[in-house]
Amino acid sequence: MPEPVPGIEGAGTDQGVILVVGGGISGITAALEATEAGKDVILIEKRPFIGGRITQLYKYFPKLCHPVCGLEINQRRIKASPRLSVLTMASLESLRGTAGDYTASVRIAPRYVNDRCTACGACAEAVQAEFNDEFHDGLGLTSADRSHAASDDSSGDSSGADPSGDSSTGPLKPARRKGAYLPYPMAWPERFVLDPRIIGTEDARRAFDACRYGAIDLDMTEETVELKVAAVIWATGWKPYDAAKIQPYGYGRIPNVITSLELERMMDPLGPTGGKLVRPSDGLPARNVAFIQCAGSRDRNHLRHCSRICCMVSLKQSTYTRERYGDEGEATIYYIDIRAIDRLEDFYRKIKSDPKVRFIKSKVANITADPRSGDPILHGVDTEGYRRYSNPHDLVVLAIGMQPSVGGDDFPFEVVVNRDGFIEPDPRNGAIFAAGCATDALDVNRSVQSATAAALRAVQVVNAGTMPGLESRRD
Amino acid sequence: MAKERKIGAYICRGCGIGQALDADRLEEVAAREGRANLVRQHDFLCAPEGVETIRADLASGEVSDVVVCACSGRAMTSTFRFDGVAVARANLREGVVWSRARKGESSALADAGSSDSSERGEIPAKTGETTGEAEVSSSERETMQEMADDHIRMACTEIRFMTPPSPSLEQTLNRTILVVGGGISGMTAALESARAGYSVTIVEKSATLGGFAARLWKRIPDRSPCEAPVDPGIATLVSEVSVHERITVETSSKISRTSGSPGKFKVTIERCDPASGDDGSTGSRTETFGAIIQATGFTPFDPSHIPELGYAASGDVVTSSELEALALAAKGEALVRPSDAKPIKSVLFVQCAGQRSSKPGHLSYCSGYCCAASIKQAMYFQDADPSIETVVLYSDMRTPGSGGEDFYRSGQSRGIVFTKGETSAISAAGEGGGARVRYRDLILDEEVERDFDLVVLATGMVANAGVDSEANDTKTDEPDTNASAPAAIEIPVESILNLTYRQGPDLPHLAHGFADSHFICFPYETRRTGIYAAGPVRRPMDIAQAREDATGSAMKAIQAIENAGRGRAAHPRSGDLSFPKVRYDGCTQCKRCTVECPFGAIDEDEKRYPLFNESRCRRCGTCMGACPVRVISFENYSIDTVGQQIKSVEIPDETENKPRILVLACENDAWPALDMAARLRRSWSVFARVIPIRCLGSVNTIWVTDALNAGYDGVMLMGCKSGENYQCHFVKGSEMAQYRMTKIDDTLEQLGLEKERVITHEVAITDIERAPRLINEMERTIARIGPSPLKF
Amino acid sequence: MSENNNEMIERYRGNFLREVEDNVEEGEWVKMCMQCGVCSGSCPLGPHWDFGPQTLFMMIRAGKRDEVLAAEGPWMCTSCYNCIVRCPRELPITHIMHGLAHYAVRMGLAPKNQPTRKFSDLFWKNLKADGRVNELRLGISLYFMHGFVDGIKTALKKAPLGLGMVRTKRMNPMEFFGGHKVRDRKGFHRMLEKAEEIESARIEKGPRPGAE
Repeated sequence: MPEPVPGIEGAGTDQGVILVVGGGISGITAALEATEAGKDVILIEKRPFIGGRITQLYKYFPKLCHPVCGLEINQRRIKASPRLSVLTMASLESLRGTAGDYTASVRIAPRYVNDRCTACGACAEAVQAEFNDEFHDGLGLTSADRSHAASDDSSGDSSGADPSGDSSTGPLKPARRKGAYLPYPMAWPERFVLDPRIIGTEDARRAFDACRYGAIDLDMTEETVELKVAAVIWATGWKPYDAAKIQPYGYGRIPNVITSLELERMMDPLGPTGGKLVRPSDGLPARNVAFIQCAGSRDRNHLRHCSRICCMVSLKQSTYTRERYGDEGEATIYYIDIRAIDRLEDFYRKIKSDPKVRFIKSKVANITADPRSGDPILHGVDTEGYRRYSNPHDLVVLAIGMQPSVGGDDFPFEVVVNRDGFIEPDPRNGAIFAAGCATDALDVNRSVQSATAAALRAVQVVNAGTMPGLESRRD
Repeated sequence: MAKERKIGAYICRGCGIGQALDADRLEEVAAREGRANLVRQHDFLCAPEGVETIRADLASGEVSDVVVCACSGRAMTSTFRFDGVAVARANLREGVVWSRARKGESSALADAGSSDSSERGEIPAKTGETTGEAEVSSSERETMQEMADDHIRMACTEIRFMTPPSPSLEQTLNRTILVVGGGISGMTAALESARAGYSVTIVEKSATLGGFAARLWKRIPDRSPCEAPVDPGIATLVSEVSVHERITVETSSKISRTSGSPGKFKVTIERCDPASGDDGSTGSRTETFGAIIQATGFTPFDPSHIPELGYAASGDVVTSSELEALALAAKGEALVRPSDAKPIKSVLFVQCAGQRSSKPGHLSYCSGYCCAASIKQAMYFQDADPSIETVVLYSDMRTPGSGGEDFYRSGQSRGIVFTKGETSAISAAGEGGGARVRYRDLILDEEVERDFDLVVLATGMVANAGVDSEANDTKTDEPDTNASAPAAIEIPVESILNLTYRQGPDLPHLAHGFADSHFICFPYETRRTGIYAAGPVRRPMDIAQAREDATGSAMKAIQAIENAGRGRAAHPRSGDLSFPKVRYDGCTQCKRCTVECPFGAIDEDEKRYPLFNESRCRRCGTCMGACPVRVISFENYSIDTVGQQIKSVEIPDETENKPRILVLACENDAWPALDMAARLRRSWSVFARVIPIRCLGSVNTIWVTDALNAGYDGVMLMGCKSGENYQCHFVKGSEMAQYRMTKIDDTLEQLGLEKERVITHEVAITDIERAPRLINEMERTIARIGPSPLKF
Repeated sequence: MSENNNEMIERYRGNFLREVEDNVEEGEWVKMCMQCGVCSGSCPLGPHWDFGPQTLFMMIRAGKRDEVLAAEGPWMCTSCYNCIVRCPRELPITHIMHGLAHYAVRMGLAPKNQPTRKFSDLFWKNLKADGRVNELRLGISLYFMHGFVDGIKTALKKAPLGLGMVRTKRMNPMEFFGGHKVRDRKGFHRMLEKAEEIESARIEKGPRPGAE
């Protein structure tokens, strides 16, 4: 049987530090569970704020509650944890050593804002440049923009965008943010960030001059710090599968085809549409919405695995049409198998009883767009009784698959992964323990469960170095 | 108060406070009305130099308690934390400057048009620009200044009634864990805890370790490539547990009594000799444990009462657990028909047997593991003889995740046939043995009747969660939804933990008989601090998940022990050192606190007084809110810290046309929503006075009546959603508060006040637009019904 | 043919899935279908089929031997490969369809008057004769597929087209009297005989090793 804890070599007498990589729900949970048991923890997060994917979700299934609600509690737990340090804009460069005695090289990108920042917002007011807001996951971008979104610099300091404008007429415009910004209203650490693209421009000077607290540091440079750590919890989470690769569904070609994550952004009252559920092509209400399951998942052309969450995500999102349009809202879910396990089945039953939600057992063959109305038309066969359909909808949402954020050769250490790219529990991983979606396609609940387990595995390594009698055991 | 208290008030002028407000006047209010011994202004209080000023004053002894008059208490929390020092926060930045009205004499009245949008998705566009240099009239400046003055008064009052919490003297650090149940979850929890250095005792009811998994031939694979069934690994696990120096195993034993709290659970373990009959107790002993993990597993669903499943009708219809027993006995040899021992040539697996249905007698949930379990069992046949026909009749194949889909594909490649269909009847096939199955093939859209040599019912998991404390709860006069209670066959359930708790002997159930869990964000948090459920007792799950789950629960148990040993609260107020203190001479033994505590933390002593168990307490304050005679309080949160704040607000004469609205906002959701609204420069009524509270459950009605008596024109309560999909972090706090508030109408009538003056709202953390709007609506309501007649 | 059929029925005793796995080209993939229906939905001729591939696969599993082998579906495949490209389980659906059609012919159960089947017969006969497809003869035999009168009518209707092709040297009328052939006709025929022999032997022997 594979043992989660390998033999501990050369553990010191001082309590070892646990390094958590990734500040999403899994990383935060692992860090908190360990530190609240009295451990020293360092949490590093690549983005300028913690919370990860869940900050971008409108609601959770099955309670239809708001993800930032749990995050608020977790952020408060972090503030109350003196033995937990959080480093944002930080990533693990390399890891040397053995279980119980690692040296981690952590690279910290410049924020250009130091900890004197009060988050008053004066810098954002002063800066003129605007950029597409990555927080909204590409929603409203054209396909060309989308493919360049990662390395966007051409759309620099346009002043044409009007983020507060009413988008109910005309095509959806991408949300914009200033070159000095707080990523989202609840972002923590509650500190602004300067976009590196304004460094060296007049805007950088404007930000500097506007700050009355000496919080803007334009000379900040990337730095690398070395940390001595006993164990590592790898919680780098997931990313959506590239929808454009699913050619027959026309993502990127047909504007009214979006991903499930984009729909979450659209529902955000502070998002690009102000919470309106509309069609990107013309801003008209999207009352009749189609959901395509297994968009990228369970497909040997794309992701072999089942992404687990997408069925529940679509069931949840089917309530969005009702929430916005009442009896005029309708949803159709095209599926292979509805995977609503344990008490999530209750939620499925509830949705099934809604006459405005239809279920069609069918993997949609392809989507075309009606040239006049812009309606996406879904073509395929209802396999229950072999019924052919060509169904027009206002909007199509691809229940996009989940893949590990870090894959292939990108790990800064040797680690055992399965063929879907998820980390396997293996003694060869030493004291590197994966948590959350780095281990499998998981929902939030299971991610938290996984992270709590990972926390204990790390605690075992730390305790092996400090609790008398423990180091003699090789379980 | 023995020690002389010296209050230092520090007024920050940064972030626009200095421009928008008259800091000198704030200083004067703090000194004169707030009776601060020392008041300082600072341009940038949260900077190291500002914090240093405070530290220096504390060090010199000039100041003992600190009032920070700057930003919201949610901001700069660790910056303004000084060990052992009471700190109160006056929320000038978010609460006044950023959320102030921008145009016109008063916010909502002038703003009425724009903020009057409908609930659904209609969000008014962002108004106004950021910080405060906009032109403001002098009267507007004055009302805003009054708002700020009140915040100073409130914070200075709060600090006077607050003491820095310190641990009580009843902490015990006890690094031992009791694991109830010696199945795979229990053994895993025990081993993982022991590996972290904690001592464990496993109490197992039966004579051997192993539980359900010991009765399996193979288990579902969980390591890549997940293609074939694997050995359950019980033997290895049992031997690891048996030899571990920090694990004690008590088989043929059960728990006859559990009392105490985290750090000092007193547990009576009773040894039963199975040979000497049911209750053949052969002695007991009592031991003390730091925390408890309940891993009591599940019982396979019994399908005999569902006639259409044919379980009683044919000997060749078996449940999946019975098939395991057959496979275990056959040890890899070909299985034979139970009825006549003839070879099996065809097998049908009926998925969701007695599950996923709202029909009476069925389980409504999905047990989650049965799809993979049937694939595994079909492989038993295919691997023994590929010519055996194995058919899985399913409605949805549920093999999620990375390994699940691999296993499904592997089953298909071995020749298992998967048919989407619905079974309507199973009966004995007739003379030749086997079973006849009628089903609808949903793909081919036709009725099918076929005989199989063997039918396997993929039955679900029924949790062994003991007595549902909630169901037995004496819900005397609560708002009840008893109509929906299922009228299932009452089987007397034996308690597992036999807790001596006032609120029942076991963990409360959440749904369908599974032990309590917070479910999404905090799945391990039960309503009984220090007792954690692991494995299928918590939620239906397979072995791989149960092992992960057990490891997580061990983490929580360890954490509970460490927290209890330091007097720290467990989740969600982790680290809070305060705990309820009671003035027993005033207690009327009404038992409201013991009934309402969402965590069952309060028992009753021999004299029928409430007995508070500190380490079971989550510090939500629901007991304080419940107490009609107000004898319960916390050092840093009490009837007075809030009540006196309310009274400290200056109530203008009714002729001034300046109403006062008290807003008691839950610090977990409503308050952050208001904070973020302020950050986005949404405005709310300058007449509102917002006080954050721990939970709506902590709101004592005296605060409401005191406010009304003091001349407030309206009172608003903002808390989390209650009910089935509750969002209250203390589970029942907001529900309790709403129930209490249903009775406020009588009070209003006695006072001769309109009902509209007190209102309760469910506010989510994302109600950034709505929360300010609700306050503005209240201001309009007050304008409509006029000033309170109780103003003096 | 029907003797062959009876033998197969006897051999597999209703386990049609196993029969298909053993005897139909790429038949061992049929069990891998998860009934998503993307193949049926993707087929450009889909609306004209009685059963799409996914339904045929389910019918095979349900043991509907006669219906599957008599189905028109497999004859409708034009080898566009849409289904193969989109199938999430990578089933070689196009090949399975052709395999099924071929097997149906072998079993003597293929639909008699199915136009594609008829065309295939003509094409095969035409090709088998000389090792080359004689397009002129093939075209003419197609005209007369539905009887003599029908053939004359079609021929007259198409005459201008034919003359035009002759004029532009796209068609040689002399092909009608023989046309070009493979060099070693006898050898070619021997090859075909041998291939048929091998296949018959294989079917008689029973199961092949499975896929995946």
